[in-house]
Amino acid sequence: MHISEGVLSTPVLLVGAAVAVAGTAVGLKKLDYDRLPQVAVLTSAFFVASLVHVPIGPSSVHLILNGLMGLLLGWAAFPAILVGLILQAVLFQFGGLTVLGANTTAMALPAVICHYALGKAARSDMRALSVSASFLAGAGAILLGGLLMAAALVFTGESFWPVARLVLVAHLPVMVIEGVFVAVCIQFLKQVRPELLEIVYAKPSS
Amino acid sequence: MPSLRLNSGLAVLVVMACLLAASPALAHKVYVYAWVEGDRIHVDGYFSRSRKVQGGLVEVFGPDGAKLLEGKTDDQGAFSFKIPQKADLKIVLTASMGHKNDYTIRADELPAGSAASSPARVQARPTAKAGAESAAASAETPAAPVAPEIDEARLRALLDQALDRKLEPLMRAVAQANEPHGPGLTEILGGLGYIVGIMGIVLYLRSRGKQ
Repeated sequence: MHISEGVLSTPVLLVGAAVAVAGTAVGLKKLDYDRLPQVAVLTSAFFVASLVHVPIGPSSVHLILNGLMGLLLGWAAFPAILVGLILQAVLFQFGGLTVLGANTTAMALPAVICHYALGKAARSDMRALSVSASFLAGAGAILLGGLLMAAALVFTGESFWPVARLVLVAHLPVMVIEGVFVAVCIQFLKQVRPELLEIVYAKPSS
Repeated sequence: MPSLRLNSGLAVLVVMACLLAASPALAHKVYVYAWVEGDRIHVDGYFSRSRKVQGGLVEVFGPDGAKLLEGKTDDQGAFSFKIPQKADLKIVLTASMGHKNDYTIRADELPAGSAASSPARVQARPTAKAGAESAAASAETPAAPVAPEIDEARLRALLDQALDRKLEPLMRAVAQANEPHGPGLTEILGGLGYIVGIMGIVLYLRSRGKQ
């Protein structure tokens, strides 16, 4: 899901960077710094997840985990994904430094949307609701990310629907895998470490 | 302190991360590699060793940025073209979904007079046979007359051809060894170390700020 350097046009890059900066600022402001280790561990998971390769579809796809980041971190997914992407760009040469903003936005914005749309349901005590909500978060975050990516590529001269369809088809297997992965993760955390499911925001100072 | 209880939970996530990392490290990035073989340049485009770029757009640019030619990779991710000119050639591969990479072949990697080499090679064939026969003949009967004269150009073509044939497997091996590949354990562990380090720095600065 990394867009390479030199593909996107400057306005798209700037918009992506602006959204990424804003999101990161919100994330850092809301973050409870006592929970920073949790953010760091999820960043690590995100960082290595890109190496898990799913060899299906017309292109290469890999786990992204932005749905899980969204559910567990909320807005803090922005700084976490940003750091993960910087390291992936520098160490793995995935994506690139100039497309950092666009890539961060494409992955972190869906994470935040999942947090708002499905965060409550995923934490629900009703098992069926929780499982389906976390599955939807895992799969939906990738779908939204793919659509954002397709939208960004439109401005490079590719027409939207062919690209969107291609992205969708390519990410279908990974959507299913991630949905299952997130669902298992959330159920596991609920039983073993329920406190990890509390969002990592700072409580209003009391 | 809640973070102590947190830590064991976090350890679980770390283990998960390690499990993820343990599966074959294949990258989500497109690679392009090109090498010279005779008077042609072969281009290889791949996402990983086993995932070739099929139908990727290959464009070749000259040193002045002008596009010299373009084409598409086949099912094996391969594309080859005749050397258009002896200059630095930038080969750009655009795969689907925003993947792009390039590779530059420097002018000094290209054989001298590449355009002229193929006709010479065709001519050289009969000469090669004749040369071998005469060499055999001269070995059997040392008293035989001197081998028919081969002019310098033909000899050169002959040698070029023989060397090309001998060196081809070697060139292929070198090309494969030089091919860029995905991140290794060093990069993965390095990245994890950076994340822990960043966390440490932030926590340190926060704790100083509180005092």
